[in-house]
Amino acid sequence: MFAVENLRKSYRAAGHAEVRAVDGIGFGIASGRFLTLLGPSGCGKTTTLRCLAGLERPDAGRIVLDDTVVFDAAAGVFVPASERGIGMVFQSYAIWPHMTVFENVAFPLRVARRRRYGRAEIDRRVSEALDLVQLGGYEGRPATALSGGQQQRLALARGIVHEPKMLLLDEPLSNLDAKLREQMRIELKRLQARLGITTVYVTHDQSEALALSDEIAVFEAGCIAQRGSPQEIYRAPKSRFVADFIGSANFIDGAASGPGRDGLVAIATPHGSFLCPFAAAVEPGTPVLIAARPEDLVLTSRHPGADLNVMTGKIAYRVFLGELIDYIVEHGTGEIRVRAQPDCEFAVGEAVHVAIPPQKCVGFRR
Amino acid sequence: MGGRARIANLVPWICVAVALWLVIVPVGALLYAAFTTDAVLGDSTPTLDNFADAYAGWHILRLLGNSLVYAVGTAAVTLVMGGVVAWVVERTDAPGGALFHVLALMSFAIPGLLMAMAWIFVFSPNIGWGNAVLKSTFGLANAPLNIYSMGGMIWALSSHYFPLVYLALGPALRALDTRMEEAGQVSGGSAWQILARITFPLLRPALWSTVLLVFVMGISSYEVPRLIGRPARIDVFTTKIQEATQGGAPEFGVASALALALLAICLVAVYIYRSGVQNAESYATVTGKGYVPNVLALGRWRWPVALAVGLMFAVALGLPLATLLWQSCFANLAPPLFSSTSGATLANYEYILTYPIFLGAVRTSVLLAAMAATAIVGLTLVMAWIAQRSQTSLAWLIDALAFVPIAIPGVIVGASILLTYLVLPVGIYNTIWILLVAYVTLYLPYGMRFASSGLTQIHRELEEAGAVAGARLAQIFRRILLPLLAPVLLSAWIYVFVLSVRELGASVFLVGPGTHVLGTISLTMWEEGGSYGAVSALGILQIVPLLCIVAALRWLETRVHRRIAPPRAADIVQAAPPASARAQAA
Repeated sequence: MFAVENLRKSYRAAGHAEVRAVDGIGFGIASGRFLTLLGPSGCGKTTTLRCLAGLERPDAGRIVLDDTVVFDAAAGVFVPASERGIGMVFQSYAIWPHMTVFENVAFPLRVARRRRYGRAEIDRRVSEALDLVQLGGYEGRPATALSGGQQQRLALARGIVHEPKMLLLDEPLSNLDAKLREQMRIELKRLQARLGITTVYVTHDQSEALALSDEIAVFEAGCIAQRGSPQEIYRAPKSRFVADFIGSANFIDGAASGPGRDGLVAIATPHGSFLCPFAAAVEPGTPVLIAARPEDLVLTSRHPGADLNVMTGKIAYRVFLGELIDYIVEHGTGEIRVRAQPDCEFAVGEAVHVAIPPQKCVGFRR
Repeated sequence: MGGRARIANLVPWICVAVALWLVIVPVGALLYAAFTTDAVLGDSTPTLDNFADAYAGWHILRLLGNSLVYAVGTAAVTLVMGGVVAWVVERTDAPGGALFHVLALMSFAIPGLLMAMAWIFVFSPNIGWGNAVLKSTFGLANAPLNIYSMGGMIWALSSHYFPLVYLALGPALRALDTRMEEAGQVSGGSAWQILARITFPLLRPALWSTVLLVFVMGISSYEVPRLIGRPARIDVFTTKIQEATQGGAPEFGVASALALALLAICLVAVYIYRSGVQNAESYATVTGKGYVPNVLALGRWRWPVALAVGLMFAVALGLPLATLLWQSCFANLAPPLFSSTSGATLANYEYILTYPIFLGAVRTSVLLAAMAATAIVGLTLVMAWIAQRSQTSLAWLIDALAFVPIAIPGVIVGASILLTYLVLPVGIYNTIWILLVAYVTLYLPYGMRFASSGLTQIHRELEEAGAVAGARLAQIFRRILLPLLAPVLLSAWIYVFVLSVRELGASVFLVGPGTHVLGTISLTMWEEGGSYGAVSALGILQIVPLLCIVAALRWLETRVHRRIAPPRAADIVQAAPPASARAQAA
C-alpha cells in the first residue's frame, strides 16, 4: 500500500510571502498501478513527487511507501531519500558525466546498505537493466557519449536496477523531441506493465498523462482538483479548470431553468434554452457553466433540429491542420471552437449553425 | 543512523564555525584592543586614549592623505594602462591577444616585494641604472627620476597591478554587444551620442567596480610602502600600523585604532564595489547570446598598436624582472647595458642555495602554502555547498563570511591575529600555525570563488540522483561531487598556493625566530644589507618556480578537457561572490 495523507509544504522565498506549494494533498496508490500527477507549472506536482522521494521535507502530513511510514510530521518520522528504496528518473536525467554507462547503472547497487551485492551479481543486474531499456552493449561507453533518448533510457535503467518499491518519474520526456517522446511513451508503458512496479509520474503534458496512466490526479494550486481514470478525467471533468487543462473546451454561461427531458437539465443561455447533464441536482436559477469539447461540435448550413443545442454564427477563421480543420465561429456574444473532419468545408464569413449534442456536454455550477 | 553518519552531518556546521571564527575573531580583537588600555598585558580598562593618540594631530591627516593619494593614483594609472590593454585585446584586431592574456596571468606569480626591489634598482637616485642612462643620455647632473617619491610608489604598484585591471575589464568589453551600439546608430544617434549614452553607461558598472577593487588593493598594499615609502618618509596606513606594533614598547591599541580606520575605508569601498559587480552582472545578462563581437579593424595600425601594448608589458614587467635577473649574476651593483658580462657569476645562487635560513624558509613557505591551499579548498567546498544546496536561511551569512576578508588588508589580518593569539591561551604564537590561520583567512574569498563557480555548474539533480539511489551525503561527496569538481579544486589549490607563497603583509607580524617564510627573509636580507646580487638571486629563485606553477595552471586549464569550466580570470581577480542561486523546486 502506498499513501500520501494531508501533505503540506510551503516555501518562503527571501523577501516574499509564503507560497503554499502543496496544500493538503492526499492520495493512495494500489501496488503496481501507474499514477500521473498532472498540472501546470507551479501547481505543486513536482514538490509532491520530491516529498515522496525524500528530497524535500514536508511541513505536515504522512507518507507511506510499501506499508512503511517514511514520513509522519506528527510522530517526527523522516526517512531520508537514501533509505527509502525508491527509483527516480529526473527531468535532466542526472546522468553522472564522470562515469561510464555501466557505472551509472551500478551505482545504486554499489552504495546499497540493505544488502551487499557481489561483483557477479552487479554485472548480471546491470546488464539485465540495460537490456530492458535496449542499451545492452553500451556498458563501456562514457555516459556523456549517449544521445538524449539514450540518456533517458540509461536514467530509467538506473532507476529500476535495484528493484525499488516505487518508481518516480519527474517529467522524463520533456527534454526529448516530439517523435522520440511518442516512442518513449510507448516503451515506458510497456516497461512498467512488464515490471509491475508502482509508478508515480509527473507531467504537465495532458496527452502523456492520458496515454500512460491508470489514474490521473489533476493538480491545481497545491491541491488535487480531480482524480480518476483518463477517461473519467477527459469525459467528466468536475470543474472548469480540469475541463480547460485536459484537452480544450468551449464554455457557455447560463442559469438552470428547470428539469428537461431524459433527466437532463434545461439551461437558459444567450443562445436559447440548452440541455445538459449534471452529476447532481441543480436548483432552478443556479448559475452554471456548460463545457463542450471542440471535436463534439457539428457544423451545418441548415438548422439541425430542435433536439440539439444550437448556436448560430459565422466562420471567423479556419485553421487547416491536415487530418483536421479547426473553425473559429463568431456568434453574438463571443467565439466558439469547432474541430471538424477535413471533408467539412466552410468558407470564412459563411453563416453556420453549431450543433452541440446534449449528451456530450458537461455541466457544473459556477 | 550510526555515529559516523551523525558526524558526517556535523562537518558542514564545523566548517561554518571555523569560517566564523576566522573572520569574526580578528575583527573583535581589533575592536577590543582599540578600546582598552593594554589588551596584550591584560589591562582591559576601557579607554579612548588609543584613538586620541592615533588621530590627534596633523600627522593623521598626512597619513590619510598619503594613503588616499597612493591608492587613488594607483587606481587611475592602472585603469588607463589596463583599460588600453583590454580595449586593444577585446575590441580591435591587433595581434597578440593570447600572449597578453598569458603575460597578465603571469603577473600573479611575482611577489610584490620583488617588484618594489627591482624598481629601486632601476630608478633609485643613487643606484638606479635607469637614472644613470638618462643622465648620460641627456647630460644631466642630477638623477631625473626618483623612485623614493609618491609618484615612484604609484608607478611601482601600478606596473604590477595593471594586468589585473585588464583581466577584470576584458570580459565587460567583450560582453558589450555591438548590436546595442548599432541599435543606437539605426535610431539616428551620432557617434558621440552613442558613446555617451550607450557605450559608457553600459561599461560604467564594470569600470567603477574595477577602480574600487584596485583602490582597495592599493590602500591595503604593504610591500611598496615598506620598501619605497618608508625610506622616502611617505607613511601610509599599512606601514604605520606595522610600525606601531614593533619596537621596545609596541602600541597595540594605537595600531588597532589605525587599523579600524583602514578597515572602515576598505569595507565601504568593497560594499560599493560589490553592489557595482551585481549591477554589472545584471547588465551582462541583458546582452544576447551567440553574437559575434564586432572588432575595430586597425588596418596598417594593427602591428604598431600591438607593439605599443607589448612595449607596455616589457617596460612594466619585463624591465624589473630583467634587472633582477641581471643583477643576480653579479656580486656588486651591475647595471644592465653598462657593465660588461665578464664578471658574471653564479656565486650568488650558490650562496643562497646553501644558505640555511633560505632552505628553512623554502620548507616553511611551501609547507604552509600547501596546508593553506588544502584547508581553503576543503573549507570553501563545504561552505559553497551549504550556501547553494542546503535550504538554510543562513546562506547569505556563509557567502558574506567567505567574502568579507577581501576587504581586510593583510596587515590587519596579521596584526589582529597576532593580538588574538597573544591574548588567547592557544599555544600557536610563534609557530607556523599562526601563519596558517592568517593565510586561510586572507584567501578564503578566492577559494570560495572557485568552489561556488564549480558547484553552480553541477546540476543539483546529479546529487539528488545519488541520494535516491541510496548514497549517503559522504558518499555523494566522494563519488559524485569530488570527481566532478577535481579539476576546479586543483586550480583553486594552485592559485591559493601561489598567493600564500607571495604573502608578506600578514607574515611580517607573525613570523618568529624559527618560522621564517620567503617573503620575510627577502625583506630582512634587503633591509639588513645583504649584497644586491644575493638579494636578486633570492628573488629570482622565488619568481621562477612561481612562474612555472602559474604556467602549469594555465596549461592545465586550457589543455585538459573539463566538464566544469574554471572561473574566468576576471572573476578570480575580483573574488566576486556569485549570487547563491538556490533553485526552487517547481
